[in-house]
Amino acid sequence: MSTIAPTSVAVRPGTVVAGAFVALVVVAAVAPQLLTSGTPTQIDLRNALATPSWSHPFGTDEAGRDLLTRVIHGTGLSLGIGLGATGVSMALAIVLGAVAALVGGVVDTVVTRILEVTFAFPSLLAALLIVAVYGPSVTTSIVAVGIGSMPGYARMVRGQVLAVKQSGYIESAHALGHSPWTVFRRHLLPNAMRPLVAVVTLGIGQSIVWASSLAFLGLGVPPPSPEWGALLDAGRNYITTSWWLAILPGLVIVAFAIAVTALGRSLQQRLEGAAR
Amino acid sequence: MRAALPKLASAVLVLVVAASITFFVQLLLPGDRATVILNLQNGRDQEWPAAEVAAVNTRFGFDRPLAVQYLDYLAGLFRGDLGDSYTEFRPVTEVIGAQLWPSVVLTVGALIVAWVIAVTVTVLTVRRGRFLPGLGSSFEAFTASLPHYWVGMLLLVAFAVQIPIFPVIGGDGLAGTVLPVLTLAIPLSGFLGQVLRDEFDKVLDQPFITTARTRGMGDTAVRLRHALRHAVLPGITLSGWALGALVSGSVIAENIYGRPGIGQVLVSAVNNRDVPTVAGIVLVVAAIYVIANLLVDLAYAVVDPRLRTS
Amino acid sequence: MTRTSPFRRAGVVGIGLALAGSVLAACAGGPAGGSGTRVEGGTITYAHVQEPPCIFGGWIQQAYISRQVLDGLVTQDTDGSIKPWLATSWTASPDGLTYTFALKDGVTFTDGTPLDAAAVAFNFDQWVTTQLNGTAKVSIDPYYRAAEAIDATHVAIHLNAPYPQFLTLVSQGYFGIQSPTALRTRTAAENCEKPIGSGAFVVDQWRKGQEVVFKKNPNYTSWPATAKHEGPAYVDELRWKFVPDALSRYASLTTGQSDVVYEIPTVNWKDAQAKFATTIRYITPGKPVSFFINTVRGVFTDKLVRQAFAHGADRRGAVEAGFHGVIPYEGNPSVSQSTPDYNSAAADAYPFDPAKANALLDQAGWTARNPDGVRTKDGQPLAVKLVYGAGSIFTSEGATVLQALQEQWKQVGFAVTLVPATRAELTSGQYSDPSTYDALPSYWTSPSPAILWIVWRPSTPEKPNGNNRSFYNNPQLSQVIQDANTSTDPERASQLYQQAQQIISDDAAGIGLYTQNTLVAASNGLKDFWLEQSQGEPVFSDAYLVK
Repeated sequence: MSTIAPTSVAVRPGTVVAGAFVALVVVAAVAPQLLTSGTPTQIDLRNALATPSWSHPFGTDEAGRDLLTRVIHGTGLSLGIGLGATGVSMALAIVLGAVAALVGGVVDTVVTRILEVTFAFPSLLAALLIVAVYGPSVTTSIVAVGIGSMPGYARMVRGQVLAVKQSGYIESAHALGHSPWTVFRRHLLPNAMRPLVAVVTLGIGQSIVWASSLAFLGLGVPPPSPEWGALLDAGRNYITTSWWLAILPGLVIVAFAIAVTALGRSLQQRLEGAAR
Repeated sequence: MRAALPKLASAVLVLVVAASITFFVQLLLPGDRATVILNLQNGRDQEWPAAEVAAVNTRFGFDRPLAVQYLDYLAGLFRGDLGDSYTEFRPVTEVIGAQLWPSVVLTVGALIVAWVIAVTVTVLTVRRGRFLPGLGSSFEAFTASLPHYWVGMLLLVAFAVQIPIFPVIGGDGLAGTVLPVLTLAIPLSGFLGQVLRDEFDKVLDQPFITTARTRGMGDTAVRLRHALRHAVLPGITLSGWALGALVSGSVIAENIYGRPGIGQVLVSAVNNRDVPTVAGIVLVVAAIYVIANLLVDLAYAVVDPRLRTS
Repeated sequence: MTRTSPFRRAGVVGIGLALAGSVLAACAGGPAGGSGTRVEGGTITYAHVQEPPCIFGGWIQQAYISRQVLDGLVTQDTDGSIKPWLATSWTASPDGLTYTFALKDGVTFTDGTPLDAAAVAFNFDQWVTTQLNGTAKVSIDPYYRAAEAIDATHVAIHLNAPYPQFLTLVSQGYFGIQSPTALRTRTAAENCEKPIGSGAFVVDQWRKGQEVVFKKNPNYTSWPATAKHEGPAYVDELRWKFVPDALSRYASLTTGQSDVVYEIPTVNWKDAQAKFATTIRYITPGKPVSFFINTVRGVFTDKLVRQAFAHGADRRGAVEAGFHGVIPYEGNPSVSQSTPDYNSAAADAYPFDPAKANALLDQAGWTARNPDGVRTKDGQPLAVKLVYGAGSIFTSEGATVLQALQEQWKQVGFAVTLVPATRAELTSGQYSDPSTYDALPSYWTSPSPAILWIVWRPSTPEKPNGNNRSFYNNPQLSQVIQDANTSTDPERASQLYQQAQQIISDDAAGIGLYTQNTLVAASNGLKDFWLEQSQGEPVFSDAYLVK
């Protein structure tokens, strides 16, 4: 293990902004009542399609519901699906990738074939089939997006584990008398996963975008869910008459994806700096 | 050549497994196939008397044992017969064939345009002063985070509705293909651009670049003739994955622009529980994917001479 | 050192000019006006929504499109009367059991087969004995006995009971006559894609996922008596496009790419009325979009609870606000306001009255409340599972109306769960069993109150009725409807139909919501496009383009 103290990397202002935004989003996800007092289902048909104003910063939708409140309440759903899907992906990817790389031989070939098959399934098709069988819901979205993104991660994990395994580093760890499980847990896995941190954080952003795509096609969480993609789907028909319904939630999605990616990269740079 | 055979064999295996999975998953779908067909033909959503259900079952062979249906299906695959669509009374090959070309145009076009954008932005902005690199990488981060459907909606409203440059109902003509291709290409260019940029940056530090410069080569020439070749390699790997993602994205583009294509056929086939059509599309997509991977390997060999001799 | 490319600046200027030019072009144009000079021939582009699996069939979408190529025996005029089409005249026997039609002479199908009595008889036979058209079958099935070709131009339809609604029902697009040669000798796929009829157009090409291209039938001789002109169609070509996205569809009209557009979004309706001379709001007769209420299982087995549900939310207010006043509220659950013999008293039977709803629920024993405010009885919550066809039956605006009602029902103590069902789930019959829902909104189109029989006929083990989604088996209702159907006295029939509607309303076996509508707009460059009366089928055979 490196004993050199991690060099401090200067924190760029961009990273600070990204971090603050992500923190805000997390607060919105976990405790929306801190940010807004309204409920996302407060229907007020007489006040429908109101333009953004002081009392309704994001305007209201076709049922008179305050859009900002809905976006805030939808954060938990969107973020939850994104994290859940990424979690499912990574869990499957680590299991499959590490097993394939470590055990090698026939197991490796079989797993690689399985990955090829799942790769050949466009993620949306997998999602369509899963939703068609089990109906649209939060769980279905998580599973569908998770399975769809898994093959890419599995391949990367496998590649990384192979690289670490073949480096002299692991042999010396063995030579020092560590048990295989300790070697795996303390040396192999962290070293293999470190370069993937940026990929995973990028993946969270992407999972949220993909989950919202499902919702956009009507395959996501059923209405009146305030999930971001569902909001955009609902706003689609009003884009020429009430632009805020289709623009503002989209900006939130994009901003969050950018922020998460930026954080991920900066995190990656720090970790790589620390490892040297 | 000898290396190609096991690859081909495993490709065939992948296709067969993909089609089989689809066949069986569809049997998990709720409801009974005969009921679905009767409902579709009559615009209803109810249960039907046993006699009529039985008639449909016999007609489509649903009353045979599952194993027989499956083997029959597999046998048909190897003959090139993908069966008949349940809803259109036509061979699946016809159903898919008619809509395959617009999808191919869309995905390949999007990939090419994405590359053009990514390469242009990267070559122009990497390491050119203080402001440009940041701008370039922000642009890429922004476009990579754009959901396809959002880009599609905005482009449609901006360039077909408010400023009618392009037709609203695109069909599959050239004018109607521009916006869908851009819809898919822009987010992808962000991804490719980020990967390209990282590689490009690393490559520009290589000794051979410095050598080229000291020999008097201009900056643009160095970037285009030497650095780019090395920088595109990870991007090419990504393109293999990108083609698969583009197929998914094409469903969205076809939905927004009302464009014909297999994505649309797929969604309605899943909704109609048209098992042969869904399995047929999975097969076609898997085949395209396998071919794409082979092409990626070829592209690698072309770009990186070191791989040619192996 | 980098040198800026000399072409870069030119490029920027060029792009700027192009953009400026297109903005100017957009400003200069507007919806094209027509001074009225008729253009010979030409192409009409029509943007529809749903692409059917076949050109003809039992679905309303198929009635719309098959009308372009198939003619019917009779047609319905705007006042509800039946006018000649393929049949120039007809007589009904005194006992009401036989209708004899005299067919127009010299009409042929586009494949050359003569359209004679034998052809008509063959079609009737096929409808009732095969799955050729399930809706045609269910419309005449219990009353139809046989069809007989008396001679080349006279065909008799024999019934086994008097059925005065027969002519009205037969005026629908489901009863378009196809060539027997085509039905006998061609494959199902060929007929599905390009059916052979005697109509104003023939199917030239079907580009799946995009459009059906119709070409004019130059030998058209069998226009209906309600036609706006005599002779074949004016235009050479009709492009029937499928554009499911509402934004694109309406935009195609405003940008001039389409001539006629179906299902204008209600939020754009005022704009369409301002811009276009031809806007048609057709209120579809038949069963409106109303709730089927599960009377055999769950909380709605108790009539008091059903009535409380009807009083408990402001359905009228929600519909009028949710659809921006474009789609009318319909309080009558069984028959819509544009149908003959409509009972308007039944429409006003359950006004919004939360006090009354609360009283009824208290009376029914649902007096306890759980912490969420939902009423309970014997530990069971007052839960209602409301399944609706998302996208297929309910647009997003319709879904909003349901959500608004959900909130209001909560105030009186109902816990309503909205379950949006995809088309796949619906067609799989997943929600056909009483255990799967408590309320299910849906509609039926029909020009006749005889729809009551199709929908509300009691379901028996020998003859199950999958259409009776309230599972409401009321023998008295059944008798009233049957009497109405077979009564040869129009006054009495009307009275009986209204009585049937009253029974359904009194028992709250259904709860009204809004009418099914067709909202169409045509560009100012198109004249004489119209919707026929029985189902709102679009008619293009009289339409012409103007300069």
